[in-house]
Amino acid sequence: MDKLAKARLRANLKQSLQYLSLVFNDFFVLALLFLVGAVMFWYAQSLKQLPTGKWYYPLLAALLLWLPSLTGRLVTLLKPADQQFLLTQDRYFASYLSKMRRYSLILPTLLLLLMAGVVFPFALVKAQLTVSTYVAMIGFLLLSKYSQLRLAARQLYFNQPKFATWIHLGTLALLIMIAYSQLWFLAVLSLGWAYWWRSSTDAVNWLSAIAQEQQRKNTIYAIYAMFTDVPERQLAIKRRRYLDWLLAWSKKTHNPNLFLYQRLFLRNPAYLSLVSQMVCFSVLLSLLVANGIWNLGLAMLVAFLTVYQLAPLIQAYDYQLMYLVLPIDPATRPRAGIRVIATAINGYGWLVGLSWLCLLPWSWQVLWQVPLLLIGVNLLAFGYLPLRMKKMEQK
Amino acid sequence: MSLEITHLVGGYAGFTVINDLNLNISPGETLGLIGLNGAGKSTTIKHILGLLPTRQGRITLNERTLANDPTAFKRQLAYIPETPILYPELTLKEHLQLTMLSYGLAEAEAWPKAQNLLTQFRLADKLDWLPSHFSKGMQQKVMIVCAFLADTPLLIIDEPFTGLDPLAVTRLIALIEAAKAAGKMILMTTHVLAQAQRVISKYAVLNQGTIPVVGSLAEIRKHYGLAPSDSFDLLYERLSQEQMHG
Repeated sequence: MDKLAKARLRANLKQSLQYLSLVFNDFFVLALLFLVGAVMFWYAQSLKQLPTGKWYYPLLAALLLWLPSLTGRLVTLLKPADQQFLLTQDRYFASYLSKMRRYSLILPTLLLLLMAGVVFPFALVKAQLTVSTYVAMIGFLLLSKYSQLRLAARQLYFNQPKFATWIHLGTLALLIMIAYSQLWFLAVLSLGWAYWWRSSTDAVNWLSAIAQEQQRKNTIYAIYAMFTDVPERQLAIKRRRYLDWLLAWSKKTHNPNLFLYQRLFLRNPAYLSLVSQMVCFSVLLSLLVANGIWNLGLAMLVAFLTVYQLAPLIQAYDYQLMYLVLPIDPATRPRAGIRVIATAINGYGWLVGLSWLCLLPWSWQVLWQVPLLLIGVNLLAFGYLPLRMKKMEQK
Repeated sequence: MSLEITHLVGGYAGFTVINDLNLNISPGETLGLIGLNGAGKSTTIKHILGLLPTRQGRITLNERTLANDPTAFKRQLAYIPETPILYPELTLKEHLQLTMLSYGLAEAEAWPKAQNLLTQFRLADKLDWLPSHFSKGMQQKVMIVCAFLADTPLLIIDEPFTGLDPLAVTRLIALIEAAKAAGKMILMTTHVLAQAQRVISKYAVLNQGTIPVVGSLAEIRKHYGLAPSDSFDLLYERLSQEQMHG
């Protein structure tokens, strides 16, 4: 099991580095540098202007330091086949997990140290925490993360209590206590607590452990998928009964392709999540930029990117055997795809337009920008999209 | 009115699996395609369904070919695969609606039939569920219901009994018998001969990509030199020996 753990960690690291090199491409790094620079500049200016010694500053510092501890779930790298081939390895599972636990600590530790560096001036100058208290807080968080991972490892066995949420909240509560009352001994206590959680002698709950790992990996893949194609990503189709009214609202169709695409769009997270993310992104951009013509331009750019990424919807069933066997006329695919994407992008237009009306300072300019945005998204849907689909179908 | 496969040569890119295969199924006939693993049963089916291009030969279904009018050709056949293949985004009810839409079935007539099939396979209370979350046996039942709902002249069933409970097997055999009586053509691959014997009119033995013999069980036995008292499993031994000796 030790050899297996090492081999899997090596393979996982290699795969992560491959994806990270795609995520941190030149454009993203440049954008990130500008963003971090802007935030740091704003932070430095704010530090100069903030009054000193407000009662809630230690609370704020504790909250910021606590955030990285929410990251770094236990990496187990278990695979579905393990329930068959490792079923007899319960005795050696603890040793496998100890390697995984150490690996799982890397990300939260790095993030915590990064956050600690950023918050340090605020904590010392404005919140007036002593260096020793600050160090105690960091130490406590590291120990707490270690404890959380031990607990997470133990919960992979049968008959274990589940209280992950309480652990996070308990960590925050203790951290705040340290910040306000310098109760260093709590950190020492947590160390003892961490060691108290010894490995379980129960059987390993393989099914649950594998499902947890699949879920964790899918979360990571979903992040990578925002930047590049991730073939390993398994999309969890959700029934989303609460959206059935949209299907009932749209006219009954006689086009099997439209029937399929409507449901694909609503239930497959690849599509609905994309539009939701793009709406949020566009609204956020509008709030940050808060300039009429720029808002319109950026909202149109995001709309274009959305349409561009939604277009492959018509090819979603190209390799689905039953789709190929059923007597469905392929000629109706583009029309069906355009209808679904046009509805989605109009939804985007209305939501972004409404956010302008509700969240931006009132001006007449906003009133004419909303119809312009709606005209723009329809031009994309009925002007650009058919051309792109034609090109896709010809390939 | 028949399925005619003449001199079919095919397989996968750079790999010939089917070699000069000839087969004919007439209305009201159930043909059992039998053979060892890797003999080419599923490949033959893929050629009929149009999932693989034919290199040589011709497949006609009621005088229609896939090349002339793919949609019209496909509307004449329904397929039950060995492993259920479902749309993860569709509920059971929507799978039935899609079948009706694709095959151009009138809903007023199709729904009572669907309800009857759903009741037979104990799925009537799961219409609003996503079948992708069903057990394998239940998923296979969904495939069976959709295929029989389509009511096509040709039904292709690949290993139909895998994963089904005995009750479902009995119901499926009854449906095949009824379809046969209604003049449908049925092509079935199976290794479970004990159950298949009840509905199969004639057998085609597929070996090394070709069909050396088509006939009743007695004719197949005779062809392979098996005594009437011999277990039919001995046939597979003979096929294996033939493969080993080229």
